[in-house]
Amino acid sequence: MHHNKSLRITASAVALALAACSGLALAAQVPAGVKLAAKQELTRNTGSEPESLDPVLAESVPANTITADLFEGLTATDSFGKVVPGVAESWKQTSPTTWVFKLRKNAKWSDGSAVTASDFVYGWQRFVEPKTASPYASTYGIFILNGKEITEGKKPASALGVKAVDKYTLEVQTPYPVPFMPSLVANTQLAPLPKATIDKFGKDWTKPGKMVSNGAFALKDWQVNSKVVVEKNAQYWDVKNVQLGKITYLPIEDHNADVKLYESGENDWVLELPSGTYDKYKTQYPKEIRNAPFLGLRYYSLNNKDPLLKDVRVRKALSMVIDRDILAKKVTADGQSPAYSAIVAGTAGADVTSYDWAKWPMAKRVEEAKKLLAQAGVQPGTKLKFAYNTSDYHKKMAIFAASEWKSKLGLNTELESLEFKVLLKKRHDADYQIARNGWVADYNDATTFLALVQCDNDQNDNKNCNAKAEALIKQGSDTTDQAKRKQLFTQAVKMIMDDYPMIPLLQYTAPRLVKSYVGGYGKNPMDRYRGKDLYIIQH
Amino acid sequence: MMQSKQKAMTAALDNGLTDAAVEGRSLWRDARLRFFRNKAAVLSLIVLAFITLACVFGPMVLPHTYEDTDWDAMGISPTLVNTHWFGTDALGRDLLVRCLIGGRISLMVGALATIASVALGIVWGATAGFMGGKVDALMMRIVDMMYAVPYLLIAILMVTLLGRDFYLVVLTITVFSWMDMARVVRGQTLAIKSKEYVEAAHAIGVSTPKIIFRHIVPNLLGIVVIYTTVTVPGVILTESVLSFLGLGVQEPMTSWGVLIQDGAGVMDASPWILLFPAGMLSVTLYCANYIGDGLRDALDPKDR
Amino acid sequence: MWSYTFRRVLATIPTLLAVITVCYLLLHLTPGGPFDGERKVSAAVLANLQAKYHLDLPLWQQYLYYIKSLLQGDLGASFRYADWSVNDLVGKALPVSAAIGGGAIVISLFIGVALGIVAALRQNSIIDYLVMLLGNIGGAFPSFVLGPVLVMVFAIGLEWLPAGGWDDFSLRYMVLPMALLVFINISTIGRVMRGSMIEVLGSNFIRTARAKGLPMRTIVLRHALKPALMPVVSVIGPLAISSITAAVVTETVFGLPGLGKLIVNGAANRDYTLVLGLVVLVTVITVVLNLLVDLAYALLDPKIRY
Repeated sequence: MHHNKSLRITASAVALALAACSGLALAAQVPAGVKLAAKQELTRNTGSEPESLDPVLAESVPANTITADLFEGLTATDSFGKVVPGVAESWKQTSPTTWVFKLRKNAKWSDGSAVTASDFVYGWQRFVEPKTASPYASTYGIFILNGKEITEGKKPASALGVKAVDKYTLEVQTPYPVPFMPSLVANTQLAPLPKATIDKFGKDWTKPGKMVSNGAFALKDWQVNSKVVVEKNAQYWDVKNVQLGKITYLPIEDHNADVKLYESGENDWVLELPSGTYDKYKTQYPKEIRNAPFLGLRYYSLNNKDPLLKDVRVRKALSMVIDRDILAKKVTADGQSPAYSAIVAGTAGADVTSYDWAKWPMAKRVEEAKKLLAQAGVQPGTKLKFAYNTSDYHKKMAIFAASEWKSKLGLNTELESLEFKVLLKKRHDADYQIARNGWVADYNDATTFLALVQCDNDQNDNKNCNAKAEALIKQGSDTTDQAKRKQLFTQAVKMIMDDYPMIPLLQYTAPRLVKSYVGGYGKNPMDRYRGKDLYIIQH
Repeated sequence: MMQSKQKAMTAALDNGLTDAAVEGRSLWRDARLRFFRNKAAVLSLIVLAFITLACVFGPMVLPHTYEDTDWDAMGISPTLVNTHWFGTDALGRDLLVRCLIGGRISLMVGALATIASVALGIVWGATAGFMGGKVDALMMRIVDMMYAVPYLLIAILMVTLLGRDFYLVVLTITVFSWMDMARVVRGQTLAIKSKEYVEAAHAIGVSTPKIIFRHIVPNLLGIVVIYTTVTVPGVILTESVLSFLGLGVQEPMTSWGVLIQDGAGVMDASPWILLFPAGMLSVTLYCANYIGDGLRDALDPKDR
Repeated sequence: MWSYTFRRVLATIPTLLAVITVCYLLLHLTPGGPFDGERKVSAAVLANLQAKYHLDLPLWQQYLYYIKSLLQGDLGASFRYADWSVNDLVGKALPVSAAIGGGAIVISLFIGVALGIVAALRQNSIIDYLVMLLGNIGGAFPSFVLGPVLVMVFAIGLEWLPAGGWDDFSLRYMVLPMALLVFINISTIGRVMRGSMIEVLGSNFIRTARAKGLPMRTIVLRHALKPALMPVVSVIGPLAISSITAAVVTETVFGLPGLGKLIVNGAANRDYTLVLGLVVLVTVITVVLNLLVDLAYALLDPKIRY
């Protein structure tokens, strides 16, 4: 199971977001000279059956890929991750904790009725309402005033800090400064919802023939575990800039089956290449291979409470001797880059830190690591226990790590393959010694990665805690000075990483095959491509 | 009328008893002779013996070990230089040694789990079929239930509660694989039960276990031998599923099932990683099939 | 026979109850819950999710709740497929699996029996060995290897058929998955048929028929086929059950929306209601198929009484 299943919100720097307040539509610009095909139809694999097409219940990448085409929030992001206007024409921060969004008057639902500020108020209240049980309710809800309390059942949904000032003006209150608000609201969890339709059909409102949506596409067909089909939404306000007439999303989980469908012409978009085949396909289809890094980190959790690993010297030694360059170039060999920090390149709100030994020759690193182990009283032949979950990719990396620890430090690693949910349970309960882990950003801000190493955070499987760093993070969160915030966060990350709570290994890329006639594919840092930005070139 | 029926039964019974008692010794010799007349079966036996010996002794004499990774020889195709005759896998480990080491596990698991599930299936099926009535109904409903319980859950639960152990693997595979044999054996038992000599034995008060083992089981041998060889591939491949769930062999140790699973993922890019283990497995399975057919022909009670 | 059938149908009820209870316990004992994900949901969200699906009640209450709605024909709401009820999901997957698995079993029966007869008539000749070599392809090669090979040859190489997918019972999409299942099934049916045909051909009544000078064709079709089919009928039961309810590899390789994958995904996602619903369905299918097999015994061999 691949783990970039958590949602990635595109977000970009605040400056960019503010610059985009011009109210101009910036989508689906087909470069001059490109001839479009007569048949504008795309078939893309999303990797799994969507768990729901209700935007607030969508959690996985497949579901969010589809809801992002069906619905449009206040803003949206283009193929390069830039925030562009959506239903909102313009927005401004009127106080440190208040944002005002001006909605365009020509935004319509697929049934022709107008999209108004109250559709947003309804949608957002439904999102945080406990009865809805949205899996993302606390992830995004905490950024809106009273969102946290509503999700916990302590306040009614009507207390949420969102208000329709008039039909086309929406005011949003936040509990503290949220500089990335314009990119946050690009998420379809925060899209407007059609109250009349939901009231009428209940749970069935997401079915073809019933769903009313406001995005560039409208739901045409949904064969569960087989395909979802959407067609261009004629009521969409920017329909003249939508090129694709039809998109078919496939739920193929098996990577090899995905490639076979691609090769036989039934699929234009391979989600993920089978492990160990990148070089082959790069040679075979040089014009079709696409590979862009995105905000995701592959790392190994170290149980900081483990009798052996509670000694920082042991943790440091284990991290030092893993040669990330060989791991990236030879073992995984699909364009991923070495990582030495909890923050990956391209993340807003903090700088990427590194270790000074990262530049040392390996021999020196090994020598130092051996010294550390000796000081900690760890003898060669000591046993380590490593848990990972079923996947060729994870297996390869695990064998590599075990081999490094064995050949360089003389430590014996017992590898244990676990079913995914069993691994999750063990990790959350800290019932492991070393465990495979991975994280894909929920939104483009350092806080999404900081969660992995912060005291008592739900996402911290290492169970480490650095009180001093925690204070710096608190200080950074409260400030409205962006430069100061970034400096404090970076300092905190450096401090935490010097405790070696975990072993960062690689930054994710998205190696895939996309037919050369699919245009509009960019380099999106959240690996998120909307149908609105794509088109089919004549071929 | 009564008398003539009685007579027919006694005659049939005599027949059955002489079959077992008088020809007892020569039966096996006959079978052996017939088996060695079957060319395909004999050839298969030789090949299977060779594969087994290679798996047992090969890793001891070959220049590479099954666990050593070589970052300068990753995923190389079969070659004479460097003595990687079968090439290497994605981590630069010698594929020949890994195929042989994997064979040890797969042959052992295959043999033990097959024997266990076949034995359980025969006893269960023959008992149910012979007893009939309520016993049959209860025993067969348990079989029905076993088909419905998702094996994934049982496997996960087994490893969680009992830990990881070779015999646990065999046990788990047996739990998943005995039902087919039980149903097949029961079906045949129903047919044999209605034959005259069994009815006769029953009528003169031969004990039930004795009837089952003396008269029913020998007549089941044909189908049992064939169905046993049908069971083998499933058993060997189930082991690789269990290893994913943490119950079967764990890296760097391997088995044919695991090697084939790995190879299938890269069959376009590096086909040899699939071809060698898959080839060894299928040759073994074909051998088992021909040996099974040969055994069946040899043991056929009517073909004398 | 009617009363036997009736008793068997009645016996389904306790069987179902037992299966549900066992699986219910298995599901709750298995580590990891339906809402455990790579991103851990906060305590508040978890509580909301559990309340929505009644998982906040004591286990025995949940169990009674489930049985109660089951009696009303409601299999509950799926956790993994939030927009669909288990009834919807099962109702959509069953026809797909029944068409592919059922069709494959019927075809396999004819091909397998034919192969077995040919091999039996030429016992221990080169024809016998060759027929068994071809017939056993599905047994000697794992289906996750055989399936992609079929795709490479017929979909990518020859471009005759689609590489996978499903389109409303369009035959084009059914050919390759059915072919794969046929390969798997004939390896068993063919071998069982060969053995049993040889056995029957060696029996006294066939020897008598041959002595009378009846043509081989007549002997095989009129006299030998019926008794020789007995063991084949025995194996058809298990094969049909697995072809319809457990064709996980076939469904994965060809991306089919069938039952097998739904069961595996349900278990992997700890989708309690979906798994229980499928368990109920698989039990019913198993009971029905095994009943049919038992009735077929009585048809083939009038001496068999229940």
